[in-house]
This record gives sequence, C-alpha cells and structure tokens, in this order.
Amino acid sequence: MGEEREPPMTAKSGDFDKDLIRELAELLDETGLTEIEIEIEGRRVRVARGAKAVPSSFAPDPGHAAPLPPREGGSRGRKSEDASHPGTVPSPMVGTAYRSAEPGAAPFIEVGTKVTAGETLLIIEAMKTMNQIPSPHAGTVLAILFDDGQPVEYGEPLVIVERG
Amino acid sequence: MFDKILIANRGEIALRIQRACKELGVATVAVHSTADADAMHVRLADESVCIGAAPAKSSYLNIPQIVAACEITGADAVHPGYGFLSENARFAEILEEHEITFIGPTSEHIRIMGDKIEAKTTAVNLGIPVVPGSPGPVRDVGEGRKIAGEIGYPILVKAAAGGGGRGMKVANNEAELELALSTAKTEAMVSFGDDTVYLEKYLAHPRHIEIQVLGDGQGRAIHLGERDCSIQRRHQKLWEEALSPALNASERARIGEVVAEAMRKLQYRGVGTVEFLYENGDFYFIEMNTRLQVEHTVTEMVTGIDLVIEQIRIASGAPLTLTQDEIQFNGHAIECRINAENPRTFRPSPGKITHFHPPGGLGVRVDSGAYAGYTIPPYYDSMIGKLIVHARNRNECLMRLKRALGEFVVDGIETTIPLFIALIQEPDVVNGTYDIHWLEDHLARG
Repeated sequence: MGEEREPPMTAKSGDFDKDLIRELAELLDETGLTEIEIEIEGRRVRVARGAKAVPSSFAPDPGHAAPLPPREGGSRGRKSEDASHPGTVPSPMVGTAYRSAEPGAAPFIEVGTKVTAGETLLIIEAMKTMNQIPSPHAGTVLAILFDDGQPVEYGEPLVIVERG
Repeated sequence: MFDKILIANRGEIALRIQRACKELGVATVAVHSTADADAMHVRLADESVCIGAAPAKSSYLNIPQIVAACEITGADAVHPGYGFLSENARFAEILEEHEITFIGPTSEHIRIMGDKIEAKTTAVNLGIPVVPGSPGPVRDVGEGRKIAGEIGYPILVKAAAGGGGRGMKVANNEAELELALSTAKTEAMVSFGDDTVYLEKYLAHPRHIEIQVLGDGQGRAIHLGERDCSIQRRHQKLWEEALSPALNASERARIGEVVAEAMRKLQYRGVGTVEFLYENGDFYFIEMNTRLQVEHTVTEMVTGIDLVIEQIRIASGAPLTLTQDEIQFNGHAIECRINAENPRTFRPSPGKITHFHPPGGLGVRVDSGAYAGYTIPPYYDSMIGKLIVHARNRNECLMRLKRALGEFVVDGIETTIPLFIALIQEPDVVNGTYDIHWLEDHLARG
C-alpha cells in the first residue's frame, strides 16, 4: 500500500470550459479511470471513455471452477488522489471503506451530491465496528476517490467536497 | 508457519525483523506514521499501511489502527519489536481475541514481569536470586525506616511502575530517606500515574549482566549466555558485550542454568532477558524483559543463532529443537548504539543525514534504517543504528571496533560515534574493568 502517488488532479471551480474538459480528459488517461464527473455551480461535466479491455490479470481463469465476479468499470484498486485540494477528506483511520450502509443499499453520496457539514459520506469498517465518516464542511461532492470495499490507510484521500 | 507478519515498529528493529521474515519466506507488512512515509522499513516491506499521525500515541501505540491494518492486509501475526507495544499485555490480549498471533510470550507473563513487585515475587518463587528489599510497597516513612534499617544503607527507592530510571532515588543514610521517598513518589506519579514505591539494597559498584533465554511455552527452555551492558548513562545502555569480561565459564553455566530452569518452570514462550546486577560474584535480579532487546545482536554474533527467526518459529507453534549442548560461544562481540545526539551533552540532534557510509569488512554488522538524504524525525528515540563487531577474542574485537568506528561516516547530524572512539582508548574499557557508574563518572571527570 505504499506505492508511489500519482500527480494530483486539479480542477478549479469556475473555469467551466474546454480547458477543463481537456484537463479532465488528460486526467482520464493519466489516472486510468474510465469516467470523471464533476459538478460546479449547478453545471455538470462528465468525461467518459468506451469500455476498454479489462487487464488480463482480472480475466476469469478458464481453468478455475468458480470464476471471479466481473469487476465494475475495470477500475484499479486505487485511484489518483488529490491531497492538496482544500476540500479533500482524508481517512481518519485504517480500515475498509464502504459507500453504503449495507450491501445493496443506496450509496451515501454520488459525485454531485450536495452535503451538509456532519453528513455521512461513507463508512469505514475497522475491528468489526462501522465508523461513519462525516463531511467536515457543507458543499458538493466533486470526486469519490475510493472503491466500495477498498482497504484504506490513515490520511488517504477519500472524497473531495467542494465548499459551498 | 505464518503467511504474513505485520511489524508494529519502526527504524532498525523493523528492518531487523523483516530480514528474519524474508529468510523464512514470510510476507511482511510495515506500519508507519505520517512522519515515516519515507523510512527504510516502509520501503523494503512487501506492503505498508499508514496508521496515524507522527506522535507515537497516534500511530505506533495506536492499538485499534494496528489491528485494523492486520485486518485489511490479512496479516496472521504481529511482531512488536522492542519498545512501543512490545510489553503491552492488553495489546497481546486484543490480538488473541482477533485470532492474530502476538509474537511474544503470553499476556499473563507480560503482565507479571511488567509489574516490578510481582516480577520480583515471581523471580523468588522460581529460584532466581534477588536484591534484598522491601517485601512489597512502602506506604510511609516509618515503614521505610524500619525496612531500610534491616537491609542496610545505601538504599534505593524505586517506582513499582517505573522504568528508564524515572522514579528512582538513592538514600545514603536514614536522614536522606524521607526526601528520597517523597521525591520518588512524586516522580512516579507524574511519570506513570502511580506513586507506589518500594525499597532495595543499593549496590555501590555493580555490573549490569543479563541472561538471554529462549523457551517454547511447552516447558523447554535454554539460555544463550550473558551480555554485559554496564556502560550506561542515565540507565540507558550505550555499549554492550557478549560475553561479559567479568564472568568465567563456570559462573556463566551456573547462572545460565538457574535462569533456564526458572523459564522451564514458568513455561515461558519466546525470547526473553533476565537482567541482573552483579557484584562480588553474586547476581541480583533487576527485571525480566519479555521481548527482543536492542542488544540481542551480540548474542547472535557469538552463538550464530538468529534470535528473531527462533522467536517467530516458536510463536508459530514449533517446539524448541535447540538443546543447551548445541549452544557454543565463539569469540567476542561488542555493540555500540549510534544515537543522533551530541557526544558530550547528549542533546538530541535530529535533522537530515547528508552523507552515510557504514563500515564493512569481516566481522562488522550495521543494523540501521538510516541512509544519505534521510531526515531523522524528532518524534521518536534518537537511535539511528547499531554497530556490532565480532572477532575471535576480546582484544581482536576491540581493534576491529576501533577500525570500524573510524570508517563510519554520518554527516549532517551529530552522533555518539566520537564518544565510542574516545571510550575505546580508555584503559578501563580496554581491560573490561567498568561498572554501571563508570561512564557517568568518566563523563563527569571530563
């Protein structure tokens, strides 16, 4: 879990233009993500690419009796993070991060969700206890930086909530 | 054997444990604070988890975070190293509850040996010689005077929960006892939140000699000879030797067997050290450390046995297969603790290491996590490495140590290396005629 961090994403609020889209598209390549969606001041931009071949290591082993379930969106175990963004919510603890209260339930947040200060963003399971991670401030969810069920370490950026 | 061991420590000992794991083919997980993200133990581990902020309380002493790190990495055992949580009985218990093996003794043995009064009672029951002293806590001056009179002055007042020299005061006569008791109690309360104190005979010129033991928790135990750690400052060891220049083979075999037999009776599991003061041919129990020690390396050098590998094997449930007859002592070994400190004032010297060149050659071992460009964080202890030298006899060992110290380059910070270069010229060090007060007296003389 100590691998090199990739260069941070940058997304300035306000300059909602071609440059931003170009920047997001570059980020898509740089980070290996398939989709980035941001919402600023009520306007939403979504940059996505067509489904790409899933890396061979994730392909079901033909000789395996019970093939692995297909991975959603071919995302990596870990995404690029932006610890420098002022709205970044770092993990306050080590554990397993979940987007919803229980399997199958609706996620607490999506990109674009407006949250109030103290509203639950996610849950981290550690030592068999479920810890609700509140938003430190009111704002709009700009990015979700973890996968459901992903192990996270202390200080790892989880969510970016743009103040406002 | 374990599949994956999480090492709940930092610095040179985290690296030392990784080395053993790798030789055993066991995967390693490093945990670290935000201040140690670039540390060597993090870089060389198979996996790493950041467990908290820089202060040890938030990270290396943070039990829930360490257990959570085991859960997310799937580690099936934890090696605590020394310091931090290595003698925390509650930590050992919590790991057991989570079905994670604590690489160390039972939580019960940690608890017994962690309480100085209970440890001493246990030692007496196991046939280990102890320092004459109060049978239990001393509540008031009246009781203290009576007991001190029976033992004889000088008397040492010690905190039951103490360690590292805090809560310890000497009374040379009855007039000094009241003040010694009250200051020791105050210091103990401030340092440990517990003002329980007891009395002991104060030995004027003892050596610190400790016996390394290895037990399998099933009634088998052996000793691996002694280490002489008399060169200390403020109860902090700086220079350790195996074997002691003060013991002969029959004294060694006698005290070694007393301790090994005690460990068999206790059904002690893992590595441990029984520490003694030694004066005029007699041993007096100080305490037992229920963990790996900083200076375990000198024992490894003279016995050729990897103590960490043995410790991990036993923790995984294997019986002790080494027999006492197989333990042979070859030559002599000396360890010097290289601290980031001014060599005269001992003021800590954190900062960036600009050049780092460890010595090498036959019989030279450097256990360190330092490297050129490494910044020593100010949050933890000042030890940046250990120089261990082994040779066929003590004279050759001293010459090799002198040579190795001369090769050692650590630039950008102050270290204790110049102190050791000076010590090696001292006739008392060369002749091995030092006691636990020697270094402080020597430094006071200038």
